[in-house]
Amino acid sequence: MFPYSTMLQPIFWMVIGLLTGVFVIGLRYWLKDLNISMNWWKWVLLSFWIVLLAVTLCGSFTLMGENEWTAGYRFLLFFGAVITISGAGLWMILRRVNP
Amino acid sequence: MDRRNFLKYSGLASGTLALAGISSAGFVAGRNKDGNTGFGRTPYGKDQFFNRKPFLVEQPTYMKVGTPERIGYLDHLFRRNAELRYHIFSYGREGFQKVRDEGPEKLPEPLKSYYIDNPSAFEEFFRAMDRANEQKANWEKYKDRYMLAEAWSAAHASPLGAPGAFPREPRGNPEESDFSGVNEDSLKLKSPQHGSRLIKKISHLFGATLTGITKIKKEWVYQGALRGRGRGDFEVPGHWKYAIVIAIPHEWESFYANPTYGTSHDAYSMLRFISGKLETFIKKIGYSARSHIPPTSYDLILPPLGIDAGLGEQGRHGILITPELGANTRLAAVSTDMPLEPDKPVDLGIRKFCNKCKICAEECPGKAISFAGSPYKTVRGYKRWSIDQDKCYTVWNSVATSQPRGCRICLAVCPYSRKNNWIHTIAREADPRDPTGLVSSAMLSMQKNFFSYPGGKEYLPPPEGNNKTYGKPPDWLRTEEWFDI
Repeated sequence: MFPYSTMLQPIFWMVIGLLTGVFVIGLRYWLKDLNISMNWWKWVLLSFWIVLLAVTLCGSFTLMGENEWTAGYRFLLFFGAVITISGAGLWMILRRVNP
Repeated sequence: MDRRNFLKYSGLASGTLALAGISSAGFVAGRNKDGNTGFGRTPYGKDQFFNRKPFLVEQPTYMKVGTPERIGYLDHLFRRNAELRYHIFSYGREGFQKVRDEGPEKLPEPLKSYYIDNPSAFEEFFRAMDRANEQKANWEKYKDRYMLAEAWSAAHASPLGAPGAFPREPRGNPEESDFSGVNEDSLKLKSPQHGSRLIKKISHLFGATLTGITKIKKEWVYQGALRGRGRGDFEVPGHWKYAIVIAIPHEWESFYANPTYGTSHDAYSMLRFISGKLETFIKKIGYSARSHIPPTSYDLILPPLGIDAGLGEQGRHGILITPELGANTRLAAVSTDMPLEPDKPVDLGIRKFCNKCKICAEECPGKAISFAGSPYKTVRGYKRWSIDQDKCYTVWNSVATSQPRGCRICLAVCPYSRKNNWIHTIAREADPRDPTGLVSSAMLSMQKNFFSYPGGKEYLPPPEGNNKTYGKPPDWLRTEEWFDI
Protein backbone atom coordinates (compact mmCIF):
# COMPACT_ATOMS: atom_id res chain seq x y z
CA MET A 1 0.00 0.00 0.00
CA PHE A 2 1.22 3.53 -0.81
CA PRO A 3 3.63 4.79 0.35
CA TYR A 4 4.89 1.43 1.66
CA SER A 5 4.97 -0.36 -1.67
CA THR A 6 8.16 -1.77 -3.14
CA MET A 7 8.47 0.91 -5.81
CA LEU A 8 6.94 3.94 -4.16
CA GLN A 9 8.41 3.87 -0.67
CA PRO A 10 11.91 5.07 -1.56
CA ILE A 11 10.55 7.54 -4.11
CA PHE A 12 8.03 8.84 -1.57
CA TRP A 13 10.65 9.62 1.06
CA MET A 14 12.94 11.19 -1.51
CA VAL A 15 10.13 13.52 -2.55
CA ILE A 16 9.37 14.30 1.10
CA GLY A 17 13.03 15.17 1.62
CA LEU A 18 13.01 17.39 -1.46
CA LEU A 19 9.88 19.17 -0.29
CA THR A 20 11.37 19.68 3.16
CA GLY A 21 14.44 21.26 1.59
CA VAL A 22 12.37 23.58 -0.56
CA PHE A 23 10.27 24.42 2.51
CA VAL A 24 13.32 25.40 4.54
CA ILE A 25 14.55 27.66 1.70
CA GLY A 26 11.13 29.30 1.49
CA LEU A 27 10.95 29.67 5.26
CA ARG A 28 14.21 31.59 5.30
CA TYR A 29 12.85 34.10 2.76
CA TRP A 30 9.59 34.42 4.74
CA LEU A 31 11.44 35.16 7.98
CA LYS A 32 13.62 37.71 6.22
CA ASP A 33 10.60 39.53 4.70
CA LEU A 34 8.94 39.61 8.15
CA ASN A 35 12.08 41.23 9.63
CA ILE A 36 12.67 38.31 12.03
CA SER A 37 16.32 37.79 12.71
CA MET A 38 17.27 34.22 13.55
CA ASN A 39 20.08 32.67 15.55
CA TRP A 40 20.90 29.04 16.40
CA TRP A 41 18.55 28.60 19.39
CA LYS A 42 15.66 30.25 17.52
CA TRP A 43 16.19 27.73 14.71
CA VAL A 44 16.28 24.87 17.25
CA LEU A 45 13.01 26.04 18.82
CA LEU A 46 11.32 26.51 15.47
CA SER A 47 12.54 23.13 14.17
CA PHE A 48 11.32 21.42 17.33
CA TRP A 49 7.89 23.01 16.95
CA ILE A 50 7.65 21.96 13.29
CA VAL A 51 8.60 18.37 14.19
CA LEU A 52 5.95 18.44 16.93
CA LEU A 53 3.37 19.63 14.41
CA ALA A 54 4.33 16.88 11.97
CA VAL A 55 4.22 14.21 14.70
CA THR A 56 0.80 15.40 15.88
CA LEU A 57 -0.70 15.26 12.41
CA CYS A 58 0.99 11.96 11.63
CA GLY A 59 -0.03 10.43 14.98
CA SER A 60 -3.61 11.48 14.60
CA PHE A 61 -3.90 10.07 11.09
CA THR A 62 -2.10 6.88 12.11
CA LEU A 63 -4.79 6.25 14.71
CA MET A 64 -7.52 7.06 12.20
CA GLY A 65 -5.91 4.65 9.79
CA GLU A 66 -6.18 1.96 12.44
CA ASN A 67 -9.93 2.57 12.52
CA GLU A 68 -9.55 4.29 15.89
CA TRP A 69 -11.34 7.39 14.61
CA THR A 70 -12.35 8.72 18.02
CA ALA A 71 -8.82 8.33 19.35
CA GLY A 72 -7.49 10.07 16.23
CA TYR A 73 -9.80 13.08 16.63
CA ARG A 74 -9.14 13.38 20.36
CA PHE A 75 -5.40 13.07 19.81
CA LEU A 76 -5.58 15.86 17.21
CA LEU A 77 -7.75 18.01 19.46
CA PHE A 78 -5.54 17.63 22.52
CA PHE A 79 -2.13 17.94 20.90
CA GLY A 80 -3.52 20.45 18.37
CA ALA A 81 -4.34 22.73 21.33
CA VAL A 82 -0.83 22.21 22.72
CA ILE A 83 0.65 23.00 19.28
CA THR A 84 -1.50 26.12 18.83
CA ILE A 85 -0.68 27.54 22.26
CA SER A 86 3.02 26.74 22.02
CA GLY A 87 3.04 28.12 18.44
CA ALA A 88 1.63 31.43 19.63
CA GLY A 89 4.27 31.59 22.38
CA LEU A 90 7.03 30.75 19.92
CA TRP A 91 5.80 33.41 17.48
CA MET A 92 6.03 36.05 20.22
CA ILE A 93 9.55 34.94 21.11
CA LEU A 94 10.67 34.99 17.47
CA ARG A 95 9.29 38.50 16.91
CA ARG A 96 10.28 40.16 20.19
CA VAL A 97 13.69 38.71 20.96
CA ASN A 98 16.28 40.12 18.60
CA PRO A 99 19.72 38.59 18.86
CA MET B 1 30.49 33.31 -4.98
CA ASP B 2 28.52 34.66 -7.94
CA ARG B 3 25.13 33.34 -9.02
CA ARG B 4 26.54 31.29 -11.91
CA ASN B 5 29.04 29.39 -9.74
CA PHE B 6 26.39 28.90 -7.03
CA LEU B 7 24.05 27.13 -9.51
CA LYS B 8 26.92 25.05 -10.86
CA TYR B 9 28.07 23.72 -7.48
CA SER B 10 24.49 23.28 -6.24
CA GLY B 11 23.68 21.14 -9.32
CA LEU B 12 26.74 18.99 -8.76
CA ALA B 13 25.90 18.49 -5.10
CA SER B 14 22.22 17.74 -5.87
CA GLY B 15 23.17 15.20 -8.53
CA THR B 16 25.56 13.45 -6.15
CA LEU B 17 22.91 13.38 -3.42
CA ALA B 18 20.23 12.11 -5.84
CA LEU B 19 22.49 9.26 -6.96
CA ALA B 20 23.28 8.42 -3.35
CA GLY B 21 19.52 8.50 -2.58
CA ILE B 22 18.66 6.22 -5.51
CA SER B 23 21.49 3.86 -4.53
CA SER B 24 20.25 3.74 -0.94
CA ALA B 25 16.69 3.11 -2.10
CA GLY B 26 17.91 0.24 -4.24
CA PHE B 27 19.84 -1.19 -1.29
CA VAL B 28 16.77 -1.03 0.90
CA ALA B 29 14.65 -2.65 -1.80
CA GLY B 30 17.10 -5.52 -1.96
CA ARG B 31 17.60 -5.93 1.77
CA ASN B 32 14.05 -5.39 3.02
CA LYS B 33 12.39 -8.54 4.43
CA ASP B 34 9.04 -7.25 3.24
CA GLY B 35 10.16 -8.42 -0.16
CA ASN B 36 9.83 -12.06 0.91
CA THR B 37 6.31 -12.78 -0.32
CA GLY B 38 4.20 -14.41 2.39
CA PHE B 39 6.92 -13.84 4.99
CA GLY B 40 6.91 -10.07 5.05
CA ARG B 41 6.37 -7.55 7.79
CA THR B 42 3.69 -9.52 9.64
CA PRO B 43 4.96 -13.08 9.97
CA TYR B 44 8.66 -12.52 10.46
CA GLY B 45 9.90 -9.22 9.14
CA LYS B 46 12.91 -8.16 11.15
CA ASP B 47 11.41 -4.87 12.27
CA GLN B 48 8.64 -6.56 14.23
CA PHE B 49 11.00 -7.87 16.90
CA PHE B 50 11.49 -6.07 20.18
CA ASN B 51 15.07 -6.00 21.44
CA ARG B 52 14.81 -7.88 24.74
CA LYS B 53 18.50 -7.69 25.65
CA PRO B 54 18.30 -4.62 27.95
CA PHE B 55 15.43 -6.21 29.87
CA LEU B 56 16.73 -9.73 30.51
CA VAL B 57 16.51 -10.79 34.16
CA GLU B 58 17.54 -13.88 36.10
CA GLN B 59 14.16 -14.42 37.77
CA PRO B 60 10.80 -14.25 35.99
CA THR B 61 8.40 -11.51 37.10
CA TYR B 62 5.83 -13.89 38.56
CA MET B 63 6.03 -14.02 42.36
CA LYS B 64 6.92 -17.26 44.12
CA VAL B 65 5.43 -17.13 47.63
CA GLY B 66 5.25 -20.77 48.66
CA THR B 67 6.01 -24.31 47.62
CA PRO B 68 5.12 -24.75 43.95
CA GLU B 69 2.64 -27.51 43.18
CA ARG B 70 1.72 -29.19 39.94
CA ILE B 71 -1.63 -28.27 38.45
CA GLY B 72 -4.38 -30.89 38.61
CA TYR B 73 -5.97 -31.58 35.24
CA LEU B 74 -9.37 -30.54 36.58
CA ASP B 75 -8.02 -27.03 37.05
CA HIS B 76 -8.23 -26.83 33.27
CA LEU B 77 -11.71 -25.49 32.48
CA PHE B 78 -12.31 -27.58 29.38
CA ARG B 79 -11.15 -30.84 30.90
CA ARG B 80 -13.28 -30.18 33.96
CA ASN B 81 -16.33 -29.29 31.89
CA ALA B 82 -15.80 -32.27 29.60
CA GLU B 83 -15.65 -34.61 32.55
CA LEU B 84 -18.76 -33.14 34.14
CA ARG B 85 -20.63 -33.33 30.83
CA TYR B 86 -19.59 -36.95 30.40
CA HIS B 87 -20.99 -37.70 33.85
CA ILE B 88 -24.25 -35.84 33.11
CA PHE B 89 -24.78 -37.67 29.81
CA SER B 90 -24.24 -41.02 31.52
CA TYR B 91 -27.71 -40.52 33.06
CA GLY B 92 -29.35 -39.80 29.71
CA ARG B 93 -31.77 -36.92 29.14
CA GLU B 94 -32.62 -36.44 32.79
CA GLY B 95 -28.95 -36.17 33.73
CA PHE B 96 -28.72 -32.40 33.49
CA GLN B 97 -31.43 -31.63 36.05
CA LYS B 98 -30.55 -34.61 38.23
CA VAL B 99 -26.88 -33.65 38.62
CA ARG B 100 -27.80 -30.01 39.14
CA ASP B 101 -30.31 -30.87 41.88
CA GLU B 102 -28.06 -33.34 43.65
CA GLY B 103 -25.16 -30.91 43.85
CA PRO B 104 -21.45 -31.72 43.94
CA GLU B 105 -21.71 -34.26 46.81
CA LYS B 106 -23.06 -36.99 44.51
CA LEU B 107 -20.41 -36.54 41.82
CA PRO B 108 -17.73 -39.20 41.29
CA GLU B 109 -14.15 -38.40 42.30
CA PRO B 110 -12.15 -36.35 41.46
CA LEU B 111 -15.02 -34.08 40.29
CA LYS B 112 -16.65 -34.28 43.72
CA SER B 113 -13.62 -32.96 45.58
CA TYR B 114 -13.01 -30.25 43.01
CA TYR B 115 -16.56 -28.89 43.10
CA ILE B 116 -16.91 -29.17 46.88
CA ASP B 117 -13.79 -26.99 47.08
CA ASN B 118 -15.14 -24.67 44.35
CA PRO B 119 -18.94 -24.59 44.75
CA SER B 120 -19.34 -21.40 42.70
CA ALA B 121 -17.74 -23.19 39.74
CA PHE B 122 -20.45 -25.87 39.93
CA GLU B 123 -23.25 -23.28 39.90
CA GLU B 124 -21.55 -21.30 37.14
CA PHE B 125 -21.34 -24.42 34.94
CA PHE B 126 -25.11 -24.83 34.97
CA ARG B 127 -25.61 -21.08 34.45
CA ALA B 128 -23.36 -21.38 31.40
CA MET B 129 -25.42 -24.32 30.13
CA ASP B 130 -28.61 -22.26 30.54
CA ARG B 131 -27.00 -19.47 28.55
CA ALA B 132 -25.89 -22.02 25.94
CA ASN B 133 -29.53 -22.96 25.35
CA GLU B 134 -30.44 -19.29 24.91
CA GLN B 135 -27.46 -18.86 22.59
CA LYS B 136 -28.64 -21.74 20.43
CA ALA B 137 -32.17 -20.31 20.29
CA ASN B 138 -30.88 -16.81 19.49
CA TRP B 139 -28.68 -18.00 16.65
CA GLU B 140 -31.66 -18.09 14.27
CA LYS B 141 -31.86 -14.29 14.67
CA TYR B 142 -28.16 -13.70 14.04
CA LYS B 143 -27.10 -16.39 11.61
CA ASP B 144 -27.43 -14.22 8.51
CA ARG B 145 -25.56 -11.26 9.95
CA TYR B 146 -22.70 -13.42 11.15
CA MET B 147 -22.67 -15.95 8.31
CA LEU B 148 -19.19 -14.99 7.12
CA ALA B 149 -17.79 -14.86 10.65
CA GLU B 150 -19.21 -18.31 11.28
CA ALA B 151 -17.73 -19.63 8.03
CA TRP B 152 -14.35 -18.03 8.85
CA SER B 153 -14.29 -19.71 12.24
CA ALA B 154 -15.58 -23.07 10.99
CA ALA B 155 -12.96 -23.13 8.24
CA HIS B 156 -10.19 -22.66 10.81
CA ALA B 157 -11.77 -25.22 13.13
CA SER B 158 -12.03 -27.86 10.42
CA PRO B 159 -8.48 -29.25 10.91
CA LEU B 160 -8.92 -29.47 14.70
CA GLY B 161 -10.12 -32.39 16.72
CA ALA B 162 -11.03 -34.79 13.91
CA PRO B 163 -9.64 -38.34 14.21
CA GLY B 164 -7.03 -37.57 11.56
CA ALA B 165 -6.08 -34.19 13.04
CA PHE B 166 -2.46 -33.10 12.77
CA PRO B 167 -0.31 -33.63 14.74
CA ARG B 168 -1.52 -37.01 15.96
CA GLU B 169 -2.25 -37.38 19.65
CA PRO B 170 0.43 -39.37 21.51
CA ARG B 171 -0.36 -43.02 22.21
CA GLY B 172 1.02 -44.99 25.12
CA ASN B 173 3.73 -43.91 27.52
CA PRO B 174 5.74 -40.78 26.66
CA GLU B 175 8.89 -42.95 26.65
CA GLU B 176 7.41 -44.68 23.59
CA SER B 177 5.31 -42.08 21.82
CA ASP B 178 7.76 -39.15 22.12
CA PHE B 179 10.53 -41.32 20.64
CA SER B 180 8.42 -42.85 17.90
CA GLY B 181 10.01 -42.04 14.52
CA VAL B 182 13.21 -40.60 16.03
CA ASN B 183 16.17 -40.85 13.67
CA GLU B 184 18.65 -43.18 15.35
CA ASP B 185 21.47 -42.38 12.95
CA SER B 186 21.64 -38.70 13.81
CA LEU B 187 24.79 -36.62 14.06
CA LYS B 188 26.37 -34.95 17.08
CA LEU B 189 25.06 -31.42 17.64
CA LYS B 190 27.93 -28.87 17.81
CA SER B 191 26.55 -27.17 20.95
CA PRO B 192 23.26 -26.29 22.70
CA GLN B 193 23.63 -22.75 21.29
CA HIS B 194 23.67 -24.21 17.79
CA GLY B 195 20.58 -26.25 18.72
CA SER B 196 18.66 -23.18 19.90
CA ARG B 197 19.61 -21.08 16.91
CA LEU B 198 18.65 -23.82 14.48
CA ILE B 199 15.31 -24.52 16.16
CA LYS B 200 14.42 -20.83 16.23
CA LYS B 201 15.23 -20.38 12.56
CA ILE B 202 13.22 -23.45 11.60
CA SER B 203 10.22 -22.54 13.77
CA HIS B 204 10.10 -19.07 12.18
CA LEU B 205 10.23 -20.67 8.75
CA PHE B 206 7.34 -22.93 9.77
CA GLY B 207 5.38 -19.75 10.59
CA ALA B 208 6.04 -18.98 14.27
CA THR B 209 6.10 -15.26 15.01
CA LEU B 210 7.94 -15.67 18.31
CA THR B 211 9.97 -18.58 19.64
CA GLY B 212 11.49 -18.91 23.09
CA ILE B 213 13.22 -21.81 24.81
CA THR B 214 13.17 -22.72 28.47
CA LYS B 215 13.83 -25.61 30.84
CA ILE B 216 10.63 -27.32 31.98
CA LYS B 217 9.94 -26.81 35.68
CA LYS B 218 7.91 -29.67 37.09
CA GLU B 219 5.25 -27.29 38.45
CA TRP B 220 4.32 -26.41 34.85
CA VAL B 221 3.37 -30.05 34.12
CA TYR B 222 -0.24 -31.15 34.60
CA GLN B 223 -0.91 -33.84 37.17
CA GLY B 224 -3.61 -36.53 37.22
CA ALA B 225 -3.90 -37.22 33.49
CA LEU B 226 -1.35 -37.75 30.77
CA ARG B 227 -2.14 -37.73 27.07
CA GLY B 228 -1.66 -41.15 25.55
CA ARG B 229 -1.83 -42.90 28.90
CA GLY B 230 -4.98 -41.53 30.49
CA ARG B 231 -5.88 -40.78 34.09
CA GLY B 232 -3.55 -41.25 37.04
CA ASP B 233 -0.67 -39.42 38.68
CA PHE B 234 2.71 -39.57 36.99
CA GLU B 235 6.27 -38.37 37.45
CA VAL B 236 7.47 -35.82 34.93
CA PRO B 237 9.24 -37.84 32.21
CA GLY B 238 13.01 -37.38 32.32
CA HIS B 239 13.21 -36.52 28.62
CA TRP B 240 10.90 -33.49 29.00
CA LYS B 241 13.92 -31.25 29.49
CA TYR B 242 13.18 -28.20 27.39
CA ALA B 243 10.08 -26.52 26.03
CA ILE B 244 10.22 -24.71 22.72
CA VAL B 245 7.44 -22.17 23.14
CA ILE B 246 6.00 -20.71 19.95
CA ALA B 247 3.60 -17.80 19.63
CA ILE B 248 1.49 -16.39 16.82
CA PRO B 249 -1.27 -13.78 16.75
CA HIS B 250 -4.87 -14.07 15.68
CA GLU B 251 -5.61 -12.40 12.38
CA TRP B 252 -5.62 -8.77 13.56
CA GLU B 253 -8.72 -7.30 11.86
CA SER B 254 -11.06 -10.06 13.02
CA PHE B 255 -9.34 -10.00 16.41
CA TYR B 256 -10.30 -6.36 17.01
CA ALA B 257 -13.90 -7.18 16.04
CA ASN B 258 -14.35 -9.59 18.94
CA PRO B 259 -16.41 -11.13 20.38
CA THR B 260 -18.75 -11.97 17.49
CA TYR B 261 -16.49 -11.72 14.43
CA GLY B 262 -13.30 -13.17 15.91
CA THR B 263 -12.33 -16.75 16.46
CA SER B 264 -9.62 -18.59 18.36
CA HIS B 265 -9.46 -21.31 15.75
CA ASP B 266 -7.39 -19.30 13.26
CA ALA B 267 -4.40 -19.20 15.60
CA TYR B 268 -5.12 -22.67 16.97
CA SER B 269 -5.01 -24.39 13.60
CA MET B 270 -1.81 -22.57 12.61
CA LEU B 271 -0.14 -23.42 15.93
CA ARG B 272 -0.99 -27.08 15.45
CA PHE B 273 0.64 -27.12 12.02
CA ILE B 274 3.73 -25.25 13.23
CA SER B 275 4.32 -27.36 16.33
CA GLY B 276 3.42 -30.61 14.55
CA LYS B 277 6.01 -29.89 11.87
CA LEU B 278 8.54 -28.86 14.50
CA GLU B 279 7.91 -32.13 16.35
CA THR B 280 8.60 -34.10 13.17
CA PHE B 281 11.70 -32.01 12.40
CA ILE B 282 13.17 -32.58 15.86
CA LYS B 283 12.53 -36.33 15.67
CA LYS B 284 14.19 -36.47 12.25
CA ILE B 285 17.37 -34.89 13.66
CA GLY B 286 17.51 -37.45 16.44
CA TYR B 287 15.64 -36.20 19.53
CA SER B 288 12.36 -36.90 21.28
CA ALA B 289 9.51 -34.45 20.79
CA ARG B 290 5.89 -33.95 21.87
CA SER B 291 3.56 -31.14 20.82
CA HIS B 292 1.42 -29.34 23.40
CA ILE B 293 -1.24 -27.69 21.33
CA PRO B 294 -4.56 -25.92 21.43
CA PRO B 295 -7.42 -26.21 21.93
CA THR B 296 -6.98 -28.82 24.69
CA SER B 297 -4.04 -31.10 23.91
CA TYR B 298 -1.65 -30.01 26.62
CA ASP B 299 0.45 -31.75 29.26
CA LEU B 300 2.20 -28.45 30.05
CA ILE B 301 0.81 -25.07 31.12
CA LEU B 302 2.03 -22.71 28.46
CA PRO B 303 1.82 -19.10 29.76
CA PRO B 304 4.39 -19.59 32.58
CA LEU B 305 6.66 -21.43 30.15
CA GLY B 306 6.34 -18.44 27.82
CA ILE B 307 7.35 -16.17 30.70
CA ASP B 308 10.34 -18.38 31.55
CA ALA B 309 11.32 -18.37 27.88
CA GLY B 310 11.47 -14.57 27.85
CA LEU B 311 8.53 -14.00 25.53
CA GLY B 312 6.71 -11.65 27.91
CA GLU B 313 4.87 -11.35 31.20
CA GLN B 314 1.48 -12.33 32.59
CA GLY B 315 -1.27 -9.72 32.26
CA ARG B 316 -4.21 -8.93 34.51
CA HIS B 317 -6.40 -11.05 32.21
CA GLY B 318 -4.15 -14.05 32.90
CA ILE B 319 -2.88 -14.11 29.33
CA LEU B 320 0.77 -13.81 28.32
CA ILE B 321 1.53 -10.30 27.04
CA THR B 322 4.44 -9.95 24.64
CA PRO B 323 5.89 -6.64 23.42
CA GLU B 324 5.33 -7.58 19.78
CA LEU B 325 1.82 -9.03 19.93
CA GLY B 326 0.43 -7.68 23.18
CA ALA B 327 -2.26 -9.98 24.47
CA ASN B 328 -2.87 -11.25 20.93
CA THR B 329 -0.37 -13.98 21.75
CA ARG B 330 -1.46 -17.58 21.29
CA LEU B 331 0.85 -20.33 22.40
CA ALA B 332 1.92 -23.87 21.69
CA ALA B 333 5.02 -25.76 22.78
CA VAL B 334 7.14 -28.74 21.89
CA SER B 335 8.87 -30.58 24.72
CA THR B 336 12.14 -32.26 23.85
CA ASP B 337 15.42 -33.68 25.15
CA MET B 338 17.40 -31.94 22.41
CA PRO B 339 20.31 -30.04 24.02
CA LEU B 340 19.29 -26.38 23.84
CA GLU B 341 20.38 -23.09 25.33
CA PRO B 342 17.44 -21.62 27.29
CA ASP B 343 16.44 -17.98 26.96
CA LYS B 344 16.25 -15.67 29.96
CA PRO B 345 12.99 -14.16 31.22
CA VAL B 346 12.32 -10.44 30.77
CA ASP B 347 11.04 -7.61 32.93
CA LEU B 348 9.34 -5.11 30.66
CA GLY B 349 7.22 -3.48 33.34
CA ILE B 350 4.08 -5.20 32.04
CA ARG B 351 3.04 -6.44 35.49
CA LYS B 352 3.38 -2.90 36.88
CA PHE B 353 1.38 -1.49 33.98
CA CYS B 354 -1.40 -4.03 34.60
CA ASN B 355 -1.55 -2.93 38.25
CA LYS B 356 -2.69 0.49 37.01
CA CYS B 357 -4.58 -0.25 33.80
CA LYS B 358 -7.70 -2.36 34.53
CA ILE B 359 -9.23 -1.73 31.07
CA CYS B 360 -9.72 -5.47 30.53
CA ALA B 361 -11.51 -5.76 33.89
CA GLU B 362 -13.77 -2.83 33.03
CA GLU B 363 -14.63 -4.27 29.62
CA CYS B 364 -15.13 -7.91 30.62
CA PRO B 365 -18.84 -8.69 30.07
CA GLY B 366 -18.72 -11.43 32.71
CA LYS B 367 -16.82 -9.54 35.42
CA ALA B 368 -14.39 -12.43 35.43
CA ILE B 369 -11.26 -10.25 35.74
CA SER B 370 -10.12 -8.82 39.06
CA PHE B 371 -9.87 -5.08 39.76
CA ALA B 372 -7.26 -5.67 42.51
CA GLY B 373 -4.34 -3.26 42.65
CA SER B 374 -1.74 -6.01 42.21
CA PRO B 375 -1.62 -9.80 41.69
CA TYR B 376 -3.69 -10.96 44.63
CA LYS B 377 -4.24 -14.67 44.53
CA THR B 378 -1.84 -17.39 45.62
CA VAL B 379 -2.18 -20.27 43.20
CA ARG B 380 -0.06 -23.39 43.71
CA GLY B 381 2.77 -21.43 45.33
CA TYR B 382 2.69 -18.32 43.12
CA LYS B 383 1.02 -14.98 43.69
CA ARG B 384 -0.57 -14.08 40.38
CA TRP B 385 -3.44 -12.63 38.43
CA SER B 386 -6.18 -15.22 38.14
CA ILE B 387 -9.44 -14.86 36.25
CA ASP B 388 -12.71 -16.58 37.11
CA GLN B 389 -12.62 -19.16 34.31
CA ASP B 390 -16.18 -20.28 34.89
CA LYS B 391 -17.64 -16.76 34.63
CA CYS B 392 -15.55 -16.26 31.50
CA TYR B 393 -17.03 -19.43 30.01
CA THR B 394 -20.56 -18.19 30.74
CA VAL B 395 -19.81 -15.21 28.48
CA TRP B 396 -18.67 -17.60 25.76
CA ASN B 397 -22.14 -19.13 26.02
CA SER B 398 -23.85 -15.73 25.94
CA VAL B 399 -22.44 -13.81 22.96
CA ALA B 400 -24.18 -13.95 19.56
CA THR B 401 -22.33 -16.89 18.05
CA SER B 402 -23.62 -20.28 16.94
CA GLN B 403 -21.82 -22.03 19.79
CA PRO B 404 -19.51 -21.07 22.64
CA ARG B 405 -16.43 -20.19 20.63
CA GLY B 406 -14.95 -17.54 22.91
CA CYS B 407 -15.06 -13.83 23.65
CA ARG B 408 -11.46 -12.47 23.58
CA ILE B 409 -12.58 -8.93 24.46
CA CYS B 410 -9.92 -8.71 27.20
CA LEU B 411 -7.26 -9.45 24.58
CA ALA B 412 -8.59 -6.98 22.02
CA VAL B 413 -8.92 -4.01 24.40
CA CYS B 414 -5.51 -4.58 26.02
CA PRO B 415 -3.35 -1.48 25.35
CA TYR B 416 -0.45 -3.76 24.45
CA SER B 417 -2.46 -5.36 21.60
CA ARG B 418 -1.53 -2.76 19.02
CA LYS B 419 -0.14 -2.72 15.53
CA ASN B 420 3.53 -2.70 14.69
CA ASN B 421 3.66 0.94 13.59
CA TRP B 422 5.72 3.91 14.69
CA ILE B 423 3.29 5.42 17.18
CA HIS B 424 2.82 2.23 19.20
CA THR B 425 6.48 1.32 18.84
CA ILE B 426 7.42 4.58 20.59
CA ALA B 427 5.19 3.59 23.52
CA ARG B 428 6.52 0.02 23.51
CA GLU B 429 10.14 1.16 23.55
CA ALA B 430 9.80 4.12 25.94
CA ASP B 431 7.72 2.56 28.70
CA PRO B 432 10.09 -0.25 29.80
CA ARG B 433 13.02 2.20 29.83
CA ASP B 434 11.30 4.68 32.14
CA PRO B 435 12.00 3.90 35.80
CA THR B 436 9.64 6.65 37.03
CA GLY B 437 6.45 5.15 35.59
CA LEU B 438 5.51 8.54 34.10
CA VAL B 439 5.48 7.23 30.53
CA SER B 440 3.11 4.40 31.40
CA SER B 441 0.84 6.80 33.31
CA ALA B 442 0.79 9.20 30.35
CA MET B 443 0.13 6.35 27.91
CA LEU B 444 -2.62 4.97 30.09
CA SER B 445 -4.20 8.39 30.43
CA MET B 446 -4.25 8.76 26.63
CA GLN B 447 -5.54 5.21 26.27
CA LYS B 448 -8.44 5.85 28.62
CA ASN B 449 -9.29 9.37 27.41
CA PHE B 450 -8.68 9.12 23.66
CA PHE B 451 -9.90 5.61 22.90
CA SER B 452 -13.55 4.66 23.23
CA TYR B 453 -14.76 1.34 24.59
CA PRO B 454 -18.32 0.02 24.36
CA GLY B 455 -18.21 -1.21 27.97
CA GLY B 456 -18.93 -4.57 29.69
CA LYS B 457 -22.44 -5.75 28.92
CA GLU B 458 -22.65 -3.95 25.54
CA TYR B 459 -20.85 -6.91 23.95
CA LEU B 460 -23.76 -9.21 24.85
CA PRO B 461 -26.94 -9.63 22.79
CA PRO B 462 -30.13 -7.73 23.71
CA PRO B 463 -31.69 -7.22 26.20
CA GLU B 464 -28.43 -7.04 28.22
CA GLY B 465 -26.35 -5.41 25.49
CA ASN B 466 -26.24 -4.54 21.80
CA ASN B 467 -23.85 -7.06 20.25
CA LYS B 468 -21.12 -4.42 20.16
CA THR B 469 -17.62 -5.29 19.02
CA TYR B 470 -14.47 -3.49 20.15
CA GLY B 471 -13.26 -2.63 16.64
CA LYS B 472 -15.13 -2.33 13.37
CA PRO B 473 -15.37 -5.69 11.62
CA PRO B 474 -13.46 -5.87 8.32
CA ASP B 475 -15.51 -5.89 5.12
CA TRP B 476 -14.60 -9.51 4.42
CA LEU B 477 -16.45 -10.57 7.57
CA ARG B 478 -19.50 -8.37 7.04
CA THR B 479 -22.07 -10.56 5.32
CA GLU B 480 -24.11 -7.53 4.19
CA GLU B 481 -21.22 -6.36 2.01
CA TRP B 482 -21.39 -9.49 -0.16
CA PHE B 483 -24.85 -11.01 0.21
CA ASP B 484 -28.44 -9.79 0.14
CA ILE B 485 -29.78 -10.22 3.65
